[in-house]
This record gives sequence, structure tokens and C-alpha cells, in this order.
Amino acid sequence: MSDFWVLARKEIMSLIRDKKLLFGLIIVPLIIYPTMGKVMQLGMETAQGETHVVIVSFDDGPYGRVLVNALTAAPNVTVTLINSSSLQGALNRAYQEKQNVLVVIPRNFSDSIEGNRIATVEVYGIFHSIGTGVRESVSESRINAVINVLSEEIAKLKLKNLNVGQPEAFLHPVRAESRSFINHHIVNASPSLVSGVLTSQAISLPLIVFLMVTITAQMAAGAVAAEKENKTLETLLTLPVKRTTIVASKISGTAVMGLIAALAYMVGLKSYLGSFTTETGVTLRELGLGITPTGMLLFALVVFLTIVFALSLAMILAVFAEDVQSANTVVSSVILPLAFPAFILMFTDINELPALARYGLLADPFTHPILAYRYALSGSYGLMALSLVYLSALSLVTLYFAARIFSSEKVLTAKISWGRKKRKSG
Amino acid sequence: MTVVKVEELEKEYGKVRALRGISFEIKEGEIFGLIGPNGAGKSTTLKILATLLKPTGGRAEVFGHDVVREAEEVRALISYLPEEAGAYKNLTGIEYLRFMARLYAKDEEKAAGMVELGKKISDLGNRLNDKVATYSKGMTRKLLLARALMVMPRLAILDEPASGLDIVNAYTIRKTIKRFAREEGTTFLVSSHNMLEVEFLCDRVALINSGKIIEIGTPEELKEGYHAENLEEVFMRAVEPAGGEES
Repeated sequence: MSDFWVLARKEIMSLIRDKKLLFGLIIVPLIIYPTMGKVMQLGMETAQGETHVVIVSFDDGPYGRVLVNALTAAPNVTVTLINSSSLQGALNRAYQEKQNVLVVIPRNFSDSIEGNRIATVEVYGIFHSIGTGVRESVSESRINAVINVLSEEIAKLKLKNLNVGQPEAFLHPVRAESRSFINHHIVNASPSLVSGVLTSQAISLPLIVFLMVTITAQMAAGAVAAEKENKTLETLLTLPVKRTTIVASKISGTAVMGLIAALAYMVGLKSYLGSFTTETGVTLRELGLGITPTGMLLFALVVFLTIVFALSLAMILAVFAEDVQSANTVVSSVILPLAFPAFILMFTDINELPALARYGLLADPFTHPILAYRYALSGSYGLMALSLVYLSALSLVTLYFAARIFSSEKVLTAKISWGRKKRKSG
Repeated sequence: MTVVKVEELEKEYGKVRALRGISFEIKEGEIFGLIGPNGAGKSTTLKILATLLKPTGGRAEVFGHDVVREAEEVRALISYLPEEAGAYKNLTGIEYLRFMARLYAKDEEKAAGMVELGKKISDLGNRLNDKVATYSKGMTRKLLLARALMVMPRLAILDEPASGLDIVNAYTIRKTIKRFAREEGTTFLVSSHNMLEVEFLCDRVALINSGKIIEIGTPEELKEGYHAENLEEVFMRAVEPAGGEES
């Protein structure tokens, strides 16, 4: 077994056996996020279950009864008719009977419809606590949907009475048929649907890159700082092993664990976010935006180089920290501001930005995986190659400095004093 | 054969002069002691010889290899035990020994031999199967000494090997070093501020104070020269004219 594998294996073993690390980086995202999501989902499902509606009608005409019948026939709605002489009395009764919604049909409801005036129905959401109010909101939208259908049906009925041949065309004289033109193809999907698919990609990818970079960087910094904290670094540096091998094994060991942790976060977050969003039912491939094997390979290389850059930068920074805690602080204060601009790409297209902002974002290596993914979707392999050249150069420079700093005595003596005096050897 | 050759070695940490041109030699098979108070420059000298620090002046060689220019060659010949050393807490004692053995040995058989020797030197028995995190200070030090010696180095550099240990553990560690040197003929460079420890262990000693070597000789020669009963008295008499400046 080569020195590299012996050292890398030890790194992975140490990280796996670190219970705090394992809990925080793998167990939490894999258990807590999906659990939170499921709890929220359960709340939504309960809210979307049966809606209890109380109706009080002050109307004597026929349309009040039509509305009651329409609501009774609506799915997932349980209607209870009550008699009350006043609105306040009806509200009190609905509250006491733990109902969610009170529908009030006013006295002049039928008269207004028959007189071709706008009739009003009052809908009251009954809040029993100051919790989320999801149930009341869902109930209201359900009632509104029933009223809209009813409103349209009454309008059609009236138009028929006026001998209008096609009431539908009279009510909706213009209809839009939406399609999208994307990547030089017409796609039979509305712009809002396509936008939904692209937005979900635009939001999730920066989030994943951000997590991946920060987690792996923290782990690499922790691996170096732990050597200092546990007083193992001096022994490690006097072993008959090349310093570049030590740096490479630390980077590889933490990269493996960091990627597992990032994967756990991705799975956990996807499950959590999936509890709220509804699937659009359209895949990128159906939009003509599939990624070819070449695109996937180039994208993987961009991600790999970004991680190498983040890890080597974190290792350089960790050299200046005395313990794991200060290493995390140092790394966070440098990596987070560098990783944050990636979020700008959630909402903007880099080509629409002013030149200065565009070059600023391009200089930040952590924006490249997001851009590379978009380039892969549109088949712009030339731009991906440019990203690869830039990231390779940057990674080589940081790796060189990491190896240099590990070959010098700075790895032992360099430290940020944090306001304290430097300690010297005896 | 000369194992260590140090000539006019200097080291500065910013404005602090930790070493002010020290020179000494160590012959093969010797246990050489560097003794002096805290801050005298002992650890700095050992760290330079272990290739961890670079001197700001003078030169040092181990088996003829320059510690700066031929650091990798030097590292292949030495084994260094730092004063404040730890082992990987998430590994068991035996895993730690195996990990270290594989980095020194070229094949599995040789590594297994080193681990067997490490088990014997550490004398930790079944506790080697427990995680290092559960070890006492004395047990950790025994494990680290076993790690340093099991690889059969040509030169073992031990910085305060029994520092901070209770009488029993300190005595065991010293006995182990002495026995190993006698049985294997390994050359040792040991630093200590415990004069009695050095007298028990070392064939020759160098007294170091404020970054300067003030005397070199066998314990007997030094005691005789200063008409002292022990090395503690030798040291006090030797430093009296120089005063107690510390780096």
C-alpha cells in the first residue's frame, strides 16, 4: 500500500469515527430535514383534507339555494347550514363548533343577480389559534373556486336567456395558447411551466454548490487544525513521507467525506423542499435541454476542480489557526464570502449583468459550476473548456502554495494571533 | 562514525535569538543529552535536526545529510518524539502503530514486525485495542515512545521523553530507552530539563543556556570538573557567571 493510500485511509477513518462530525454532517441532514419536511407535509395534508363550512343564508331567493347546493356538491367540503339572525351570532356559533369557514349569503343576493348587478358573498376564515393558518387559507381558496365556477355558470345561464349562441366565446372572447421557444426549439409548454423547471434548477444548484464547497472546506480545515490541536502535526511532518503526499492525502480523504456529507445534505434538502413544491411534470429533456455525456464529463471536471480549489485554499487558511474552532472561523470568513456570489446566479443571467459585475462573478471560482451546468444544458462546450482552464490554473496555484506552506516551517509557526502574543518554541 | 554534526547553529524567531551559534557532535550508539532550563533552546535544536524548523545561520547534518537541503533523506533515518505530542484519538493504539509502521516499512511483513516490537515496547497489553482517546497521559506517552522506537531509527530524537509524567511512568520510559539503546545500538539525542534523568540516561551531555552551549562532556567529567555531586550543581555553577537570561 502506498504512503498516499495509508494516509488517505487514516483521514477517512478518523473522520468517520468522529461522532460529532458524523452526526452533524450526515445524520442530521439525512434524518432531520426529511422529518421536518414530512411534518410540514402532514400539516398541509391535514389542511387540505375535509373543509368544514358553515353557511348562513339571509337570502330568500332561488340563487342562495343554488349556491348552497353547489358548495354541498363540491369535493372535500362538508356543509352545515345554520340559522342565525345576525352575522355576529353566526360567527360565534361557527367558532364554538370549531368550523374553519363561515359563508354568509346576504339578504339581496338573488335580487342582485336577477337585477344584473354584482352579488356579493362574504367568506370568513375562522382562526382558532395563531398557528400557521394554512387550513383557513386552503378552505378560503376552495370556497372561492366553487364561487368562481358558480359565477361563470350563472353568467352562461344569463347569456343563454339572452339568446347568445356560444356563451363560452362571449365570456372568454380571447384565449392565449402559450408555447415556448427555447434553445432554438418550439416546446409545447407554457413559459411559466418552463420558467418553473428552470427556476427549480437555478435555485437548487447554487444551494448544492454552496453546501458542497463550505462543507468540504470546513472538513479540510478541520483535518489540518486537528493535527495542531491534538499535537500530531510535528510527528506527521517528520515521517519519511513527501510533504506533497501528506497534502494530497488530506485533500483526498476530506474530499471523499465532504462529498458524502454534501450528498447527504442534497438528499435531505431535496426531501425537505419536495414537501412544499409541486412537481411541474416536465423534465429538462422534454424541453430539449438534456445534457450529453460530453457535457456531463466537462461539468463533473468543473465541479471536481472547484472542490480541489476550495480544499487547498481551506488547508492554507487552516495553517494559520491554532485549533479546529479557529480554523472553522478563518475558513468561514474567507470561503463564505467567496461562495456567496453564487446565489446571485439564482436570479440573474450573467450575460445581462454590467461588464464589471460579470467579470467579478467570473473571477469567483465558485460561480463556475453553476455556469458550467447552464453551458452544458445549452451545449456551449467552448465556454466550459474556458472554465476548466481557469479553474485548473487556480487549483494548481493554490495546491502549489498548500504544498509550499506544508514544506516550510510556517505550517508550525504561522498563526493569526487573535490579539494574543505569539508562542515560541523553547 | 559521526551521526550528528552541528556547527555554529543559529535560529531567530523575529527579534528573539533562540540559538546563538551552537556546535556539537554525536557519535554512533551514543545517548547524547541536551540539558538546560525552559527556553534555553533545546526544543529548537531538536526541531531543526528533525527537519521541522530551518536554521537562520550555521549548519546541521545527520549521517552526512544537510537537514535543510536533504530533509527527506534525513527523515528516512530519524524518528522524532516531540515534547507535547499526541496520537490520533479516533484510532485504537494498535491501529496507530500499524498506521505508522506502514509509512516506514516497505512491505507488510516488515510492518508487522515493527508493530510486534511496538506492542512490546509500549507494554500496553489489551489496552492497545482501545481508542487512544481513552488513554491516560502516561499510556499515550508509552504508545508514542513505542511508535518512535519500533521503526528502528538510526537516530532517535526525543524531546523531554518523560516530561509531565508521574514517577512510575517516567521511570518506565527511561528504562525502556536505556534498554533499547543497549540492545539495538540506536543513537539517541535526548533533551531534558531534568538533570537526574539525563545523568541516568546519557553517555554525554551538553549544557545549554540562553541559546548557547556552555559545557559538553560525560556526566562524570562534568561533575569532576566542577567539583559537583550531580549535574544540577554542575549546571548552576556553569551558568552563574552568565546569569539567567532566557530566550
